[in-house]
Amino acid sequence: MGQRLQASACFKQPFYRIILLIACCLSSWAASAQRAEPLISGNFQNLSVEEFARQLEAQSTYRFYFDSASVKGVLVNVRVLEQPLTSVLQQAFAPTPVRVAVDEEHNVFLTMGTPLPVTLPDNYFQGSAVAVTAEEPTDPAVPATRATSSARLYEIGRVGAARGATATVAGHIREAKSGEPVLGASVYIEGPSIGTSTDQFGYYALTLPVGQHVLNIRGIGIKNTQRRIMLHADGKLEVEVEEDITALKEVRVEAEKDKNVASLQMGVEKLDIKTIRQVPTAFGETDILRVVLTLPGVKSIGEGSTGISVRGGATDQNLILFNDATVYSPSHLFGFFSAFNPDILKTVELYKSAIPARYGGRLSSVLDIATRDGNKKKLAGSGGIGLLTSRLTLEGPIIKDKSSFIIGGRSSYSDWILRRLPDRSLRESAASFYDVSAHLSHELDGKNTLYATGYLSRDRFKLASDTAYAYQNRNASLKWRHTFSNTLYGVLTATGSQYGYEVTSEKNLVSASALAFDLAQVGLQADFSYFRNAKHTIDFGASTLRYRLMPGRLTPRGAESLIELDELDREQGQESALYISDRWDVTPRLAVSVGLRYSLYQALGARDVYQYAPGVARSVYTITDTVRYGAGKTIATYHGPEYRVSLKYALSDRASVKASYNRTRQYIHQLSNTASISPTDTWKLSDAYVRPQVGDQFSVGYYRNFRNNTIETSVETYYKFMHDFVDYISGASLLLNHHLETDIINAEGKAYGAEFSVKKSTGKINGWLSYTYSRSLVRANAGTPAEQINGGEYYPSNFDKPHDVTLAGNYRFSRRFSTSLNFNYSTGRPITLPLTTYYLEGATRVFYSDRNAYRVPDYYRVDFALNIEGGHKAKKLAHSSWTVSVYNLTGRRNPYSVYFKAQNGKINGYQLSIFGQPIPSVTYNFKF
Amino acid sequence: MMDFNSRVWKLLAGVLLLVLGGCVDKFEPDVLNSPQSYLVVDGFINLNGPTTIRLSRTKNKADAPVPVEADATVTIQDEAGAAYPLPEQEAGTYQSAAMSLNPALRYRLRIRTAAGKEYASDLVAARQTPPIDKVTWALTNRGLQVYVSTHDDANATRYYRWRYDETWLFHSAYSSGVEYVDGVMQNRQENIYYCWGNESSTAIQLGSTSRLSQDVVKDFPLRLLESTSVKLGIKYSILVKQYALTAEEFAYWEKLKKNTESLGGLFDPQPTQLTGNVHNQADAAEPVIGYVGAATYTEKRLFIDRTELESIVRFQTGYESCGKPDTVKLADVAFYFSNPNLLPLEGLYAGRTLIGYTSSPGVCVDCRLRGTNVKPDFWP
Repeated sequence: MGQRLQASACFKQPFYRIILLIACCLSSWAASAQRAEPLISGNFQNLSVEEFARQLEAQSTYRFYFDSASVKGVLVNVRVLEQPLTSVLQQAFAPTPVRVAVDEEHNVFLTMGTPLPVTLPDNYFQGSAVAVTAEEPTDPAVPATRATSSARLYEIGRVGAARGATATVAGHIREAKSGEPVLGASVYIEGPSIGTSTDQFGYYALTLPVGQHVLNIRGIGIKNTQRRIMLHADGKLEVEVEEDITALKEVRVEAEKDKNVASLQMGVEKLDIKTIRQVPTAFGETDILRVVLTLPGVKSIGEGSTGISVRGGATDQNLILFNDATVYSPSHLFGFFSAFNPDILKTVELYKSAIPARYGGRLSSVLDIATRDGNKKKLAGSGGIGLLTSRLTLEGPIIKDKSSFIIGGRSSYSDWILRRLPDRSLRESAASFYDVSAHLSHELDGKNTLYATGYLSRDRFKLASDTAYAYQNRNASLKWRHTFSNTLYGVLTATGSQYGYEVTSEKNLVSASALAFDLAQVGLQADFSYFRNAKHTIDFGASTLRYRLMPGRLTPRGAESLIELDELDREQGQESALYISDRWDVTPRLAVSVGLRYSLYQALGARDVYQYAPGVARSVYTITDTVRYGAGKTIATYHGPEYRVSLKYALSDRASVKASYNRTRQYIHQLSNTASISPTDTWKLSDAYVRPQVGDQFSVGYYRNFRNNTIETSVETYYKFMHDFVDYISGASLLLNHHLETDIINAEGKAYGAEFSVKKSTGKINGWLSYTYSRSLVRANAGTPAEQINGGEYYPSNFDKPHDVTLAGNYRFSRRFSTSLNFNYSTGRPITLPLTTYYLEGATRVFYSDRNAYRVPDYYRVDFALNIEGGHKAKKLAHSSWTVSVYNLTGRRNPYSVYFKAQNGKINGYQLSIFGQPIPSVTYNFKF
Repeated sequence: MMDFNSRVWKLLAGVLLLVLGGCVDKFEPDVLNSPQSYLVVDGFINLNGPTTIRLSRTKNKADAPVPVEADATVTIQDEAGAAYPLPEQEAGTYQSAAMSLNPALRYRLRIRTAAGKEYASDLVAARQTPPIDKVTWALTNRGLQVYVSTHDDANATRYYRWRYDETWLFHSAYSSGVEYVDGVMQNRQENIYYCWGNESSTAIQLGSTSRLSQDVVKDFPLRLLESTSVKLGIKYSILVKQYALTAEEFAYWEKLKKNTESLGGLFDPQPTQLTGNVHNQADAAEPVIGYVGAATYTEKRLFIDRTELESIVRFQTGYESCGKPDTVKLADVAFYFSNPNLLPLEGLYAGRTLIGYTSSPGVCVDCRLRGTNVKPDFWP
């Protein structure tokens, strides 16, 4: 029967024939074994087990074993025509308490009630097409079928238990060696083409017609494989797959969402980075954010900064989630290193359009970073030694196959070096950071799993000058995942994040002071996924988030300090949301995802709120009153729907068109007078005056694959409106400002662009090339001419860099040697120039250009890296690799910052380049 | 081994310095090297008295004086079309005769430069400035604070700007009784010990009562002096001038203040070009600096005598760096005192015989280097 189904699929859909041929080759063992299984025909009515067995033995070489006393009274009713024996047995005994097991010696065992142990070693059945009844998923005491073999035929569900023509198979994809879930792996069948991909837990659910299928499983870091199933009714299939050793633990980046695997998942463009370690970075430190920056539509704010601008959005418009907890400052050492230890990361997903309804709170993008669960089978470790930093990660099981841990740490030793220098001012300098991440996962039973994550990163930076900067991120998340049924599961997540900094200045005793900022948030969310049927997947959930913000406090340090304590009122806010979305595969060519998120934000007391005279510009001169809101009292409420719609239409097997529209709302805003993220930037919650930012994005893309899907090309265009984009009046002061609303404008923003990308993901030469043309403009045209900026016309935002070319290429000489080359060009970012000086009202004053009327020099950089892998024996004690890289190969002096000094009355401009020359580095990585 | 170690440290330090130091290059966009010269209009239309307008240009050279805009034709024009000329006084300064303009009309300033370009300010409503009620002072722990108070019973003014001129009496470090003129030592004819210093406000001072139910400014802190300031050493005077503004003009001044007075430091605010109300008639896009309002102005003077500041024991003198007087022998008098950098103070006698003169550098003796020895008219 299986053979026939496959064959018909082949003939009906010639396109899949080649793939099927390959698939058939891979499972040739299975196919030949399958051929050996006899086909049974006959009408067996009201037969005793003994009589039924006798008749089957007559038609085959199989021998039956059973306890005739226990099966007494059981009657068999089945009518079959040329069906495989195992299938006939299943159909015959499904309505009865008799359980069936078949071994490779063609022995059939019939037992009563208690099922045949499914825990038999898998290799016991290796190579034979033997069916084992999968347990009904409703029985929690018994583990679901664990499928490790691509040759076996796994039976899903009890024969005859299907309620219709289709049934759902669901389960997890895990790595066989470590037991870790595989995320984003495609699971699909090819005739008819039905597919899905695993979620963040490695979970998949696929609704298929009842019958025999070949499940194809493809993913990054795993060997492509397949499982053969016989689907009778709803059931579980836990799949264990082999790790692809050469890929080590690389990080995969998904840009929009996938396209051309047979999966119909839409709005997803996957970008596979074979090894993120191949992407050269300064100091050889693997840096996921830098790889994200090479994606089309994602732009760096400046050299040495990991602040990213996605499609013309501001740097604060990206939701960065680390295992669902928000990270506010994703970089170390003022942006030279990303704050995430690459060894513990599993995936990084960036949504720049078609943002799923489950995410909210930021306008431009979601960067979802997930850690690995840790090896569930044995203790393992990995690490790296570099010029400035080193890192070590340990992982292993706590209870084998049930719970595991992973803990990773990274530290710089620059401080230690500095202290050994003869130069006094250098000895007094400091530059150090560290981060620690820990993750625990525990499977309570087949239906309940707990995950816990903790993250801490700290930075200290002090120049010979007296100002010391220190900042830290602290995150924690706790997740409980519960499977209600095969088609419904839910996750309850509690998160906490904290970000704070302190700038201290102690050299001058009279002005010694410390400036502190602190932001904390705690959140609770429930997310549910319901695989309704083959055509509908419904996600829904609710979340709530409490922000507590200490916007700034200046305190004197030491007895002699004359600084007066200055503290801004604390801010509080509550952001809640409900969402539901439905992914609907309308036809095999057309898929639609419709989502709605409704978010509600309340600014809460206790706080003093200034009242301003109506009808005139807000300024200290127009404050009419101060209203005191008590603790927990609502100061302002904002709410609104966020629409998330996307659709994909497959023009052919190799080309598709996708479109999406999404609206996002953001209630927390970063205040930064510079374009780059600096650790001393503060955040501000929406309140009575600072309205939430609302963004609408329309996006259309065309995707076309060539050469058997090895070359992927795409063109995406977008148009974005941003309402109440935070901008500042001219001469705004952001620090310790008790009436910030007088300096902030709710501006209008728009951004548009086109992204062209060519990607080759396989072969000796692989990589991608992208070109982006984009604009990002702002307009502040409310109020009097003096309040307007640039006369109320649209002007380039800080993130407007029209042209951007990125090439990330790898060439693999052999399994052990590979090289990679990065090329990056972009237009310089806009800048407001002080043009000249003039004398007015008793003082010399500076005449500035229109805001952002000029640009810093263009950015251009080439990096090169050579990766040398250690031996590739899978059983080797430790895998090691060397990375030799040169950052900024051409030594171009890209400006990190541009500043001006009035020298003898003339304004002179200077540009500071941080990496103004080639920076070579060597890193040793190991894994055991 | 030691040597190797220190070399390793140096290398690593070098790597670090790349992070901490980087390299600095000149950033010279063309626009900075060939800056445009924009017209700067400073002044207001005085409804009651002479109107003074100063025209200058933006300054591109460091050491050069502020370039003035000379030989322009400047006129005040009311909305009815009547024009009042402002003849040029000194180069770049244009002043009308004392006039009394109708406060019910709106006014604009017209400028025709020597190069033939026509500029005009927007028509602005005339503002009547109420009188200053009082100028007071108080000693606070931050220093001596001067306050201004005013009110408008009609509740019509609302927006205020203040300027002030400070005058103070001071003396130099040493009094000189003699002077060396044309090779002859003689008794000093002119007082160079006591002088009056003078300074005008440089910061923009703004006040608004728009949020108040009544148009009352009470004790607006206008000027803060260090309590030991030189200016308070003998007698201090401040003349406060008050101008009424329109809301739009107020907003302009407020932005100008923020843009040009609060820069510097870690959190530099983001500045932008400001738009005033003067425009090139032929090219609206040409930036012109300045906002010309029309108002009357009022003023009030305050004196503070040292005797009123009993709690302050010691004032700065401004001559703290001056050392003790030197001695110039009689034989060296010609050599030293023919150069005005050193001034004789008084004769030195051995018994009754003149043996030389005490001396001190001119900057410590001649107060005229820091002010004027001509007593101002208003000084009591």
